[in-house]
Amino acid sequence: MAMLILLWLKCIILCSTVEAVFEDQVGKFDWRQQYVGKVRFSHFDAQVQSSKKVLLATESNVFAALNTRTGELFWRHVDKAGAEGNIDALLHHGQDAVLVVGNGRLLRSWDVSVGGLNWEIVLDSGSFQAACLVGLTDTVRHVAVLKKNIISLHYLSNGHQKWIENLPESENVDYQAVYSDGNGEVYALGVVPHSHIAVVAYSVEDGEIIKQSSVEAPWLSNILASCTVVGQGMLTCVDSATMSLYTLDLNQQSQMTQIPLQSLGLEVAPGFHPVLVSHQPNPAHKPLSEFFLQLGPDQYLLLQLSEGQIVTLRDFKPAFLVSFATTGEKTVAAVMSPKNKTACSINLFGAETGRRLLDTTLIFTVDPNGGKPEKLYVQAYLKKDDSVGYRVMVQTEDHALTFIQQPGRLMWTREEALSEVVTMEMVDLPLTGTQAELEGEFGKKADGLMSMVLKRLSSQLILLQAWIAHLWKLFYDARKPNSQVKNDVTIENLSRDEFNLQKMMVMVTASGKLFGIDSKTGSILWRHYLDNIPSNAAFKLMVQRTTAHFPHPPQCTLLIKDKDTGLAMLHVFNPIFGKKSHVSPPALPQPILQSLMLPLMDQDYAKVLLLVDDQYKVSAFPSTKNVLQQLQEMASSIFFYLIDSNQGRLSGYRLRMDLSTEQIWEVAIPADIQRIVSVKGKRANEHVHSQGRVMGDRSVLYKYLNPNLLAVVTESTDTHLERSFVGILLIDGVTGRIIHEAVQRKARGPVHVVHSENWVVYEYWSTKSRRNEFSVIELYEGMELYNSTVFSSLDRPHAPQVLQQSYIFPSSISTLEATLTEKGITSRHLLIGLPSGGILSLPKMFLDPRRPEIVSEQSREENLIPYAPELLIRTEWFINYNQTISRVRGIYTAPSGLESTCLVVAYGLDIYQTRVYPSKQFDVLKDDYDYMLISSVLLALFFATMISKRLAEVKLLNRAWR
Amino acid sequence: MLHRDRLPLLWMFVQATLIVAWCFTDIETGPGAGVSTQANGDRFKIEGRAIVPGVKPQDWVSTARVLVEGEEYVGFVRTDGSFSVHDVPSGSYVVEVVTPTFRFEPVRVDITSKGKMRARLVNYIKTSEVIRQPYPLQIRSNGPHSYFMKRETWGWTDFLMNPMVMMMVLPLLIIVLLPKVVNTNDPEMRKEMEQSMNMLNPNPELPDVSELMTKLFSGSKGSSKAGSSSKGTRPAAKRR
Repeated sequence: MAMLILLWLKCIILCSTVEAVFEDQVGKFDWRQQYVGKVRFSHFDAQVQSSKKVLLATESNVFAALNTRTGELFWRHVDKAGAEGNIDALLHHGQDAVLVVGNGRLLRSWDVSVGGLNWEIVLDSGSFQAACLVGLTDTVRHVAVLKKNIISLHYLSNGHQKWIENLPESENVDYQAVYSDGNGEVYALGVVPHSHIAVVAYSVEDGEIIKQSSVEAPWLSNILASCTVVGQGMLTCVDSATMSLYTLDLNQQSQMTQIPLQSLGLEVAPGFHPVLVSHQPNPAHKPLSEFFLQLGPDQYLLLQLSEGQIVTLRDFKPAFLVSFATTGEKTVAAVMSPKNKTACSINLFGAETGRRLLDTTLIFTVDPNGGKPEKLYVQAYLKKDDSVGYRVMVQTEDHALTFIQQPGRLMWTREEALSEVVTMEMVDLPLTGTQAELEGEFGKKADGLMSMVLKRLSSQLILLQAWIAHLWKLFYDARKPNSQVKNDVTIENLSRDEFNLQKMMVMVTASGKLFGIDSKTGSILWRHYLDNIPSNAAFKLMVQRTTAHFPHPPQCTLLIKDKDTGLAMLHVFNPIFGKKSHVSPPALPQPILQSLMLPLMDQDYAKVLLLVDDQYKVSAFPSTKNVLQQLQEMASSIFFYLIDSNQGRLSGYRLRMDLSTEQIWEVAIPADIQRIVSVKGKRANEHVHSQGRVMGDRSVLYKYLNPNLLAVVTESTDTHLERSFVGILLIDGVTGRIIHEAVQRKARGPVHVVHSENWVVYEYWSTKSRRNEFSVIELYEGMELYNSTVFSSLDRPHAPQVLQQSYIFPSSISTLEATLTEKGITSRHLLIGLPSGGILSLPKMFLDPRRPEIVSEQSREENLIPYAPELLIRTEWFINYNQTISRVRGIYTAPSGLESTCLVVAYGLDIYQTRVYPSKQFDVLKDDYDYMLISSVLLALFFATMISKRLAEVKLLNRAWR
Repeated sequence: MLHRDRLPLLWMFVQATLIVAWCFTDIETGPGAGVSTQANGDRFKIEGRAIVPGVKPQDWVSTARVLVEGEEYVGFVRTDGSFSVHDVPSGSYVVEVVTPTFRFEPVRVDITSKGKMRARLVNYIKTSEVIRQPYPLQIRSNGPHSYFMKRETWGWTDFLMNPMVMMMVLPLLIIVLLPKVVNTNDPEMRKEMEQSMNMLNPNPELPDVSELMTKLFSGSKGSSKAGSSSKGTRPAAKRR
């Protein structure tokens, strides 16, 4: 025991030497952006006139409050992802926001001002249909929840159930809506498709059925899609087949009155299902008798229902979006209509009259690289002179939220698409114009001495000019107070910095919007919305040409593949400016199985992308003559692999001269016992600096560095605790040779894997001990190398030595990645995304299968940490300190120009960018380097020598006189 | 389930001898482990309260979440600090309260198939060891998270307290001050000192450093002597 404690102590001492964040570095190299996801429900907090909150419930199961002035988050609650945390409804009244979560499983009430939970109750099972607030004599005290076969009423103050009733004939009738207008009754509205409407009125007090009736409606199939309640409890429906409006008085419930649209002089756009939009400002009062009828994609009508008669107040054509808003006693309607190609105008109209309100025009500029506006949320407020002012929040197809104030001043924009980043790349920034000019000079052909001299002189002149401009700017900025100096990054002044620490982050989101983000500041420099993306697309982003080949522009290619059909398309663009490239990508008529980037380049320095279709035919992009010729020469050494996880088949192929393929190996994994979860190769841009490790006795243990090695992870299909297992296979991708096989019994996924250098680290859940465990496999060639100059999979007769060790990890993990540096000299760290939001930087040194159980002289010589079963999570190792990242989905690492520094981007619901120094900053002075001290010491020493020299002279002179 | 009735007794036993208790309870954790995959079984509720001493719940609950077994089940903290996680099937779970500012210890909660709950300390190495915790959970924060390393600041005291500097400065002080304190011109004193020096120094052949020093600083005369004395101080100079 004492020994163990000693080991721990040692461990802790070692740990303390590892780099962490210093407090003064907060925000210096890192930034975080928090997102909420695509907005599903939104309410403006209107309890106070000056309230700055807007509540958002999103499709990512997030409930948040935003500051309407800045667009920043007040608070945010992230529920479980998936159907269980799905937000079905958001009701907002005063201080309370009531959410129905998980298909009617939970009812939660949040305190809007604090952001805390008031109460939470579990509802009875049954699929959720609708919910509404129920008011009685001007106060709202209850929430009604309608489910498939029951209706229940809950107190708003504590969530307790007041009553619960079964719905009559719920097996036949499809109850879809619930309505209440403050007269002591709650109506449940159901429909028997193409037969009749069922209306049941319950008493708020005790849940007794007051009235129950069914009304003939053979044309109706869905209440939610075609009906709404208007005015004095009139259920109003629209039907496109009979071209009519139908009204039903819920209080009398006799029969529906048909009003043909033609009698109003209206016509429905062909093929369009008309929609009704009504407004109930207060749940304790009746809804407005004015409502909108949408007749076509760009036509709305403001109608009024009075005493059974429908009057057209105003016809809006063209109009994209409409919305009602209420402030105080006044209700207005906001209508967005197109102004010109790049802008829309929003106007306010009095709801009762349909008259336009003066000075309420607001201009919304439509981003040409964004989507069309989709939803309009209006926040109306009373000005001092009692007129109505308003602000709008526009949601566009690309999930962006734009908040605009009168008269068209953009307050903020939130790119909620960034909450679903799928893949990303970091691209080096280009050189500045002047640097490029210099580079260009060497690129051109030599033409005479004189012209070369002139060229050189002119470029030097340009450099001088740039330098003077820079000095002038420095001088100019220095005179201004610090806060006013803005370092705005725009595409124009983007340039690579000294150590290549600033890069362009190209992010691909699930919605199909691409972003270019400056890694230093986090500002979005360009965005591009691809509007023809299938909903279940898989993306793969590849850098075909970097910025190194001036004057050729850098080029990225995005492969977009429909997961169902396998059909794919390519989007080629410039990663610095986001513009679509003039290079036209080939059309891909066949489903694509695999894509690979070759190190080959065409004459324009673009790397060659190979696409393998389902006929095992290979096509190249770009496919110029030059490329095809190179491919033919290289064909015999181009291998690729395909995975069929459904049938558990891994197969290796070789390219033939005529760009057809031949299968050379196949590994079958019985699909009924285990399934392939992931296959990980090594990163192409990874460098390994040292070929081996020096042992304690000065001999060298050489690493097995096979660039073609694949780590295949399988999970058992049997999920029983005792019989489940996780398997890992190390396969050579060229020959199909199984290098190593390991099975972890009584374990299950999710398995996270990192494969790099000569090691594989994976994490799994041990069902026996109910804990997460890490396991590391390291491969060594042994004490001597077989062929030290080049590695060939075909000529490697000896199997590598395999070392493995496992550790306990005291938390589950979300994602796993390893740091990456320019030359691979710096020691490696593992970056572990935790569910708590932290990103732990764990030195690879802790995951070393050579950690000894008993410390010996040699192991101490090698700096091996004695084996301890449990790995520690120390908050000092969190690279993101308190800037937690919700639902981390991936971590991207990129080398920088400095060997010590690795750039890290973690993305999930949030995006976080920082730098890590796994071996501390050994190649650059630290940012806290004390220049004052060193210069003062130098100066002091200088003067001391001067003085002492003088003194010595005087002393010598004195002695000579004596 | 016989020993379940004897639990209070067993609990004392736990405190007395850990290892014996471990053997006993190894059987008891069985139900928790065995039924955790029962999909259609009853669902239960984990309840508790999180407390940050000295901080009002309103100030931290909006950033807090309750995570059960990673993110498998998620709960939220109410404005009074209490929380409940619904729809949890029977099994054994690690419950933790997560906030970016405060640190809470995780707790393992075992739920039997009948819905009996117990809470115990998390021990990943001896997974079946039972050290009981109160249920409903009372999770008390043990302070804020420490995310940052301390910068090495440069101060005069650090510099002076450096062993190298101490080694350099102390002899210097002795060399400079000793001749001033002790009147070296007094012959009696000198004799006494020489005697004591000889007693300390077993090898009388060695040149006496202190003597050289005193001679040097009380106005050195011979240049050869001064040279040898400078040799004596050189190591000290090198250390700088």
